[in-house]
Amino acid sequence: MTPNPQAILADFAARLGGQIMPDLKTPYAMSSAGLMTAVLGMLAEQFDGAAANLVEENRAIRALFNEAAELTLPGDLGARIGQLSAGVDDDLRLSALQAANRGLRAALIDLHAWAEVEPAAKALNDAIWRELSMSTERRRVSSAPF
Amino acid sequence: MTQTTLTPDAIAAYIASRIPGARNVRVEGLSQIPGGASRQTFRFRLQYDGDDGPVDRKLIMRRDPPASLIDTERHIEYAAYHAFYDVPGVPVPRMLWLENDPAALDGAFFIAEEISGFESGPMAIIAEPYLSQASRLADRKWTILGEINRADPAALGLTEVMAVPAPDQCWRRELDHWEKIIDEDELEPQPIIRAAIRWLRANPPGPAQKISVVHGDYRTGNFLYDAQGEIHGILDWEMCHLGDPLEDLGWGLNRIWCWGGDERRGGLVPRESAIAIWEKASGLKADPADLHWWELFNCVKGQGIWISSAKAWDDGTNREPILAFSAWRMLNTQDRAALDLMERL
Repeated sequence: MTPNPQAILADFAARLGGQIMPDLKTPYAMSSAGLMTAVLGMLAEQFDGAAANLVEENRAIRALFNEAAELTLPGDLGARIGQLSAGVDDDLRLSALQAANRGLRAALIDLHAWAEVEPAAKALNDAIWRELSMSTERRRVSSAPF
Repeated sequence: MTQTTLTPDAIAAYIASRIPGARNVRVEGLSQIPGGASRQTFRFRLQYDGDDGPVDRKLIMRRDPPASLIDTERHIEYAAYHAFYDVPGVPVPRMLWLENDPAALDGAFFIAEEISGFESGPMAIIAEPYLSQASRLADRKWTILGEINRADPAALGLTEVMAVPAPDQCWRRELDHWEKIIDEDELEPQPIIRAAIRWLRANPPGPAQKISVVHGDYRTGNFLYDAQGEIHGILDWEMCHLGDPLEDLGWGLNRIWCWGGDERRGGLVPRESAIAIWEKASGLKADPADLHWWELFNCVKGQGIWISSAKAWDDGTNREPILAFSAWRMLNTQDRAALDLMERL
C-alpha cells in the first residue's frame, strides 16, 4: 500500500481545498469541494487507526459481557451475551470488524437497559457508561465542534 | 436517483403561468447555492415586462431533492415563512409561489424573494468582522427566537396547517417521531442515544407552558447576519411545528453548535446568557429541569438527522456531499453532547 493511503487522502484533501476549490466558479461547486475536502481529511485522520480501534472496542465490549456473565441475566439475554463474549476477531478486514462491532453494540444496548434498572448490576452499569464514553474518544475527529 | 436539471427557460415558463399579464419573462444567472441539505436551493434573477414597466427581482427557489437530510412537507415551511412575514421583529424572506405538484419542475418547490448581501456561515461568525459583534448578534438571535416562541400560532393561522399537541404531550410526540426515524434509518446500533431515549421516557418534562411555534432548526447557520450585529433573515423553517418552546431553546443550545470549540453556544455567548436573553424576549421561563430534558431530547433529534443523512447517502438516494460530511462529523459529536448532558462523558 504505497504511497501511504493516509498520506494520499490528506494530500488530496489539502490540494482540493487549497488549490482547486478557489478556482471553482460557483458557490455551490466551492461548497461541495469544501465538504469533500473535509470528508477526505476525516478519512485520512481515521484511516490508520480504524482497524485497531474496532478491535479494541470489540474486546472492551466482550470484556463487559464476561463481567455480565457473573450476574443472573434473563434467559435470552444471558444466552446471547454468553455467545457473543466468546467471539474472536480473526478476520481483520474493516467490514468484518464492523459487522462484529454492530452485533456487539446491539447486544450492549439490551444489556445496558437491563443493567441500569438492576440493583445488582450497578458496577456493570457504570462500566458500560465508561466504555461508551471511551467509544466516543475512539471515534472522535479533530475538526468536530465538541 | 437523478433529478432533471433546472433550466432558466423551464423556470421562466412556470413563473409566466403564475403572473397574469407578465410579458417577456426571463430567468438569468440561475445557479445552485449551498444550503441545500434539506432542499436544493437555487438563486436567479427574474425579469419581465409588467403592466407598470420592467420588473427585475432577485429570487430563491427551494426544490425538494429525491431524499433530504430532513424529510418534511414544504407547504409547512412555506406557511411558516408566510405567517411570520408580517410579524415585527422576526425577519423572513417574502414567499411568492408554492408548487406542490412535483411534475411541474421535477420536484415540489417554492419561490421566495432573496435577502442578499449578508453572511450565513456558522464558521464565519466566530471570526472578524463578526466576532466583535458576538454579544449584539447573540442578543438579536435569542431575542428573535423569543419573538417566534411568544407569537400566537392561532393568530398567525398556523393552527390550520400544523397539528396542535396537548401541552402535556409535546414531549412524547417529538420523542416518538425522532425515535421512529432512528429505528428506520440507523445503519448501526446507537447505544448512547438509546440510553438517552430510555432516560427521557423515564423522566418526562412538565407540560409546555404554552403551545408555541417551534422553528425546529433555530441555530447559527440558519440566519443571515451582518458585521454590525444585525440579523436580516431567519431561514430553514422546514422542521417548523407547534409544540413546547423549550424545544427550540434547547436545540440552539446544543453543544454540537459550539462552532468555536468552547462554551459559546452558537459560537456567540455562554449558555446562561442565551437563556436570559430568550426569557426576557419571550416572557417565558426556562425551567432548569425541563430545559435539561429538551436539551437531551435535542441530542436524539440531532442524531436522527445525522443517521438519516448517513442512510440517504449510503443507499444512494441522495449523494450530496453535505450528507456524508454531516454523518462523519456529527454522529460522534452528537453522542458526546448527549453523554455530557447525562454527566457520563
